[in-house]
Amino acid sequence: MVRFAPVLVILLLLGLPRLVDMAFLNAMVLVLIAALYAMGYNLLWGQAGLISFGHATYFAFGASCTILMMQAIEKGSSFPTPLLPLAGGVAGFLLGLVAGWFATIRTGVYFAMITVAITELVRAIVQRWDSLFGGEAGIAAGRPAWGPFGLQKLVDVYYFTLVWVVLGVAFLWFLQRSPLGLVIRGVREQEERVSFLGYDTHALKTLVFAISAGISGVAGGLLAFTNESTNVTLYEGAYSSTVLVNTVIGGAGVFLGPAVGAALTTLFGYYVANMTVYWLLYMGLLFVVIVLYAPRGLSGLAVEAMQTLRAGKRLAFPLILRRGIGAVLLAAGTILLVEIIGAIVAPVYWATAKSTGVAWPAVTVFGLAWTPAAPLTMATIAGLFGLGSLLLRGAAGPARRNAAALIGRLTGRAGRAP
Amino acid sequence: MAAARCSGRVDRAYGTGTGDCGLRTLMDAFLVALLNGLVYGLLVFMVSAGLTLVFGMMGVLNFAHASFYMIGAYAAYFSGRYIGFWAAVGVAAVVVAGVGLFTERLLLRKVRVYGHTQELLLTYGLFFVIEEVVKLLFGPTPVAYRVPEALRFTAFTIGQSEFPFFRVLMGGVALVMFFVIYAMLTFTRIGLVVRAAVERPQMVCALGHNVSLIFSGLFAVGAGLAGLAGAVAGMYYPTSPAMAHELGTIVFVVVVIGGLGSLNGALAASLLIGVMTSFAVGVEATFGDLIHRIGLASTGFAGLDAVQFSSIAGVLPYALMLVLLLWRPAGLAGNRN
Repeated sequence: MVRFAPVLVILLLLGLPRLVDMAFLNAMVLVLIAALYAMGYNLLWGQAGLISFGHATYFAFGASCTILMMQAIEKGSSFPTPLLPLAGGVAGFLLGLVAGWFATIRTGVYFAMITVAITELVRAIVQRWDSLFGGEAGIAAGRPAWGPFGLQKLVDVYYFTLVWVVLGVAFLWFLQRSPLGLVIRGVREQEERVSFLGYDTHALKTLVFAISAGISGVAGGLLAFTNESTNVTLYEGAYSSTVLVNTVIGGAGVFLGPAVGAALTTLFGYYVANMTVYWLLYMGLLFVVIVLYAPRGLSGLAVEAMQTLRAGKRLAFPLILRRGIGAVLLAAGTILLVEIIGAIVAPVYWATAKSTGVAWPAVTVFGLAWTPAAPLTMATIAGLFGLGSLLLRGAAGPARRNAAALIGRLTGRAGRAP
Repeated sequence: MAAARCSGRVDRAYGTGTGDCGLRTLMDAFLVALLNGLVYGLLVFMVSAGLTLVFGMMGVLNFAHASFYMIGAYAAYFSGRYIGFWAAVGVAAVVVAGVGLFTERLLLRKVRVYGHTQELLLTYGLFFVIEEVVKLLFGPTPVAYRVPEALRFTAFTIGQSEFPFFRVLMGGVALVMFFVIYAMLTFTRIGLVVRAAVERPQMVCALGHNVSLIFSGLFAVGAGLAGLAGAVAGMYYPTSPAMAHELGTIVFVVVVIGGLGSLNGALAASLLIGVMTSFAVGVEATFGDLIHRIGLASTGFAGLDAVQFSSIAGVLPYALMLVLLLWRPAGLAGNRN
């Protein structure tokens, strides 16, 4: 069953344009791009154990270079259109070679800070180099046609993206299973031992950094190809944190985990951003909750459930149901609280209160009108929080101990003494 | 003779910035830039002091540390409207220390078993949540947190530039803070136990000290220092939801350059970065000029030639960090990797 899952997913993705409307298909193109970006990012994290906090640089650089290549085609250069994202990939790879050489001098927290610094460095230069990168206004170029393929319709773009994403993911899959992938994991676990075996570990880490940057560059190239434009805001920290958040939510330890996370958050952003201005806060809270209570991400939870089933045990459905309801209640309470606070701190609210003469005008959340200071509202929020945390009681304990034991085994050392 | 001629023309020279006595004007400008750089450096130090102490002693890199600085500014702004400036600064420091204590005991402690990566991710998430909560409560634009009237006077003048008292105050607070922490850690019994707890936590625990409490206290004090810095600096620089990000990355650079856990290193790195940035802002040359100076016609990119050095002053700290990593990976004052 699990073995055929990739085939099923690809078939579903192939048939998708017939099943959904244009708006959703548009969102799916972004999902595919975000998924490839996250998978490339996770090569660095999942395989080499290095967490980059500045991957947007390579994504954005890939996008910029793809547009520059498209502009060159418009001016008469010949370059096969299907290989355009490769221009972004090569650009990301080369930049990644330089940046990776610096960043992988150190590991852990230092590595993280160097990636942040390199991102700031590149961003500052790119933002001032208007003649090449186009500043805030950005640069644009039309999608060049290729043979019989016009590549103008959304469906064409979707299939174009799908082919590249599948190729990219397949590449990552074979890389992971190759001897190189094994050595890279060796560097993650026991760098000293690998270097005693005669490998140049710094060169290896630089290479894996560059490949990861290259895949991110391909994803950036796909985004540029889809939008037919790009600008320097893509170099900002938000695009670095998005991919990290996707990876954490999906789970770095499972091959397709980051792609799942990317799909979830992209669709979440696509739909929820229209409903509330506080969706970034909800994303942040979700991220913190996952870090606290599901350190291996959502795919980690799925793997745990599968291991339970394989061991011949049954899943504890009443427990899962109880915790699920608890989580939903807590989330509802949080949303209610945030939306009401957000409404009443706005100056508009007090202007309304003054003009209508009502002390506390009602705020609409979940389609219901809530009077902020009313006892019923307060009681509802308190009730949701209270009941939710009651149902969730004890949820973190055993799961956390299991994960800690696993991580201790993987890294070969116990957690720091409290 | 030259001196006499000069003194007669000094006033005019200030007005235009040119003339025979440009040297004196240049000296004044140099002094002003130096002082501004030192004050900015001291501000950066106020925030990085807590970060480097916590990092060195607990191995936690707190991404949300600059958020504590932001909370300090907003707390002082909010409470200052009711209780006045000086009380608000104190309240801000205490409130942020409380937030730090909450973060350490209820959040960080839960993920400690997974190791430093998970702690790093948690503080990264907190950074975003705090920024969004601030936006929720105070809006996405800067708030009007200003220096009180009573403190708006000139401390002294250099040439024609007036140096505001408030900058002197910011620098003074940071210096006092440095000496207090340094003295506490070096000369008091508490400092002795804290330093011992960092080196050999289990031994100190066996000797009957509450190591867990020491770490929590340390985290709270570090957060409180950042809050204090925010309360003081927030009125001079814009108090906006972006302030944590703006200062945060600089502060990380300071910790790396200064060396892990070293207070002296952090002070040196902060001052170095502050002064360097301040001087770079005053340079009017472009990349093209530099290339001409080394004897080439152009960088090869027309756009790059026209980029001014001053516009990339903010990049210098990062460039410095990369260079330092090659030359001295443990940082200026660090002895550990």
